[in-house]
Amino acid sequence: MASEPRHYGELATQLVMEARRSTQTDTLLKYNDSLVRTLIREQRDLEREADSIQLSHPVDNDEPPPALIIIQTAINRNKRCLLAYHAHRVDRLRDMYWAVGGALPHLLANKDIRDNLSPYEVDYLRAYNASIMEFRSEFSQELDIMASITNLPKDLHVQVKVVRECGVIQTENGTIDFQKGKRFVVRRSDIEHLIVQGYLEEVQ
Amino acid sequence: MRAVPAIRAFAQDGGIETPLDQLIRHWMNERHAPDILPAQEDLMNGILDSIRRQSEIVHLLRGNTTMSEDEHIRITLVQTEIERVKFVVRACVCTRIYKIEKYARFIMTNADVQTRLTAAEQALAQRHAALTDRHYYTSVLQSLPEKQAHLDDTPIFVPPMVTEPDKTRPVFVHALQDCPPVHLPNGIPLEMEKDYISLTQYSIVEHLVVRGEAELV
Repeated sequence: MASEPRHYGELATQLVMEARRSTQTDTLLKYNDSLVRTLIREQRDLEREADSIQLSHPVDNDEPPPALIIIQTAINRNKRCLLAYHAHRVDRLRDMYWAVGGALPHLLANKDIRDNLSPYEVDYLRAYNASIMEFRSEFSQELDIMASITNLPKDLHVQVKVVRECGVIQTENGTIDFQKGKRFVVRRSDIEHLIVQGYLEEVQ
Repeated sequence: MRAVPAIRAFAQDGGIETPLDQLIRHWMNERHAPDILPAQEDLMNGILDSIRRQSEIVHLLRGNTTMSEDEHIRITLVQTEIERVKFVVRACVCTRIYKIEKYARFIMTNADVQTRLTAAEQALAQRHAALTDRHYYTSVLQSLPEKQAHLDDTPIFVPPMVTEPDKTRPVFVHALQDCPPVHLPNGIPLEMEKDYISLTQYSIVEHLVVRGEAELV
C-alpha cells in the first residue's frame, strides 16, 4: 500500500465506505482482502506502539498518558470498522440466500457471485444453510418456510414460460418436462422455487 | 394485502377471533415490535395441524373422479385458503427468524428472552450465534493481537458490540379493550379506552401487547 503518512482510522473509513457503497448500489462488492489485511497489520503496529508507551510510562503515575488513549481509541475504532464490514457482508449474503429461496448450490454456482466471496464467507453460507435446513425440517410436514412471502397467493394456478431448461420436475400431480420456450399452467406451490431461481417466468 | 384488514374487521365486529385472526394479530405485533414476543406454540401447532389435516382431505377428494362442478369449485376454494394460511404462517416464522438472527448473541446471554422462544428457535439462535462468532473469528479476530481478539469487550464511549432490541422505539398501539392506565416517560398517566390508537414507546405498552389487551398497528 501507499507509503505516505496516513491518519489513524483512514483505512477503516475506506472499508466502511465500501460497505456503504454496497448498500447504496444494492450489490455485493468483491471482498476487499488486501484492505482487510492492511488494516490488520495496522492494528498490530498500533498494539506494539501502545505496549511501548505503556512500558516507558512511570509505574507510580495513575493517569494514563494521552498518547496511549489516542492509540487505544484508534484500535477500538479500527476493530469496530473491520467487524462492521464483515457483519454488513454477512447480512447481504443472508439476504441473497433468502432471495433464491435457500437454493445454496444455485447461489454458489453463479460465478459472478462466487468470485466476490472470501473462502470464509463460503464456509459461512454453508454453515448457515445447514442451520436453516435444520430449522426448516421442524415444519416439513406442513409447509416450506423458505417459499416466497413477497406476494400474497391469489390463485392456485399460474401460467409460466420456461426461460431456462430445467428438465423433468416431480409435482404432486405427476411429472412435467419443462422444455425451454414452452408454456404450462401449473400449481403455484409446486414450482414457486423454480420461478425464484430463474428457470420459469410468470406469464401475466 | 388489502384483504387482511377486511377479514379482521369482520372478526372484530362478530366478536369471535378465529385461530387465523389470532395468528394474523401475533404476526402484525411481531412485525411492529422491536423485541421478540412470546412464541405462540399452541396456536401455531393447532394451525399446522389444521393445514395438514385439510391438505390430506383435499388430496383424498381430488382423487375422486365423480365430483360435480360445484364440488370442484369448493375444493379449489379450500386449497386457495390453505395456501393463504400457509403464507401467514411462513411470514410469522420468517419475522421471528429475522429477529433471532439479529439478536442471536443477546439471546444467548439473556435467560428472559430464551423463555419466549420455542425449543427449535432456541437451537437456531445458538447455532446462529456460534456460526457468526466463528466467521468473525476466522476472518478478523484470529489475525489481531491477542489483546484485541475478543468480541464482547466494552470500550468506553463506544456502543456495545452486541445488538440488543431497542425498546424505546416508537410504535402505534391500538387498544382492543379498555386498558389499565400506563405511565408515559414524563410521568403522565395514559388510560386507553377500547379502539384508542396511540403513538408511544414500545416499553410502555409491552405488557398490554403481550396480554392481548392491545395490538400494534
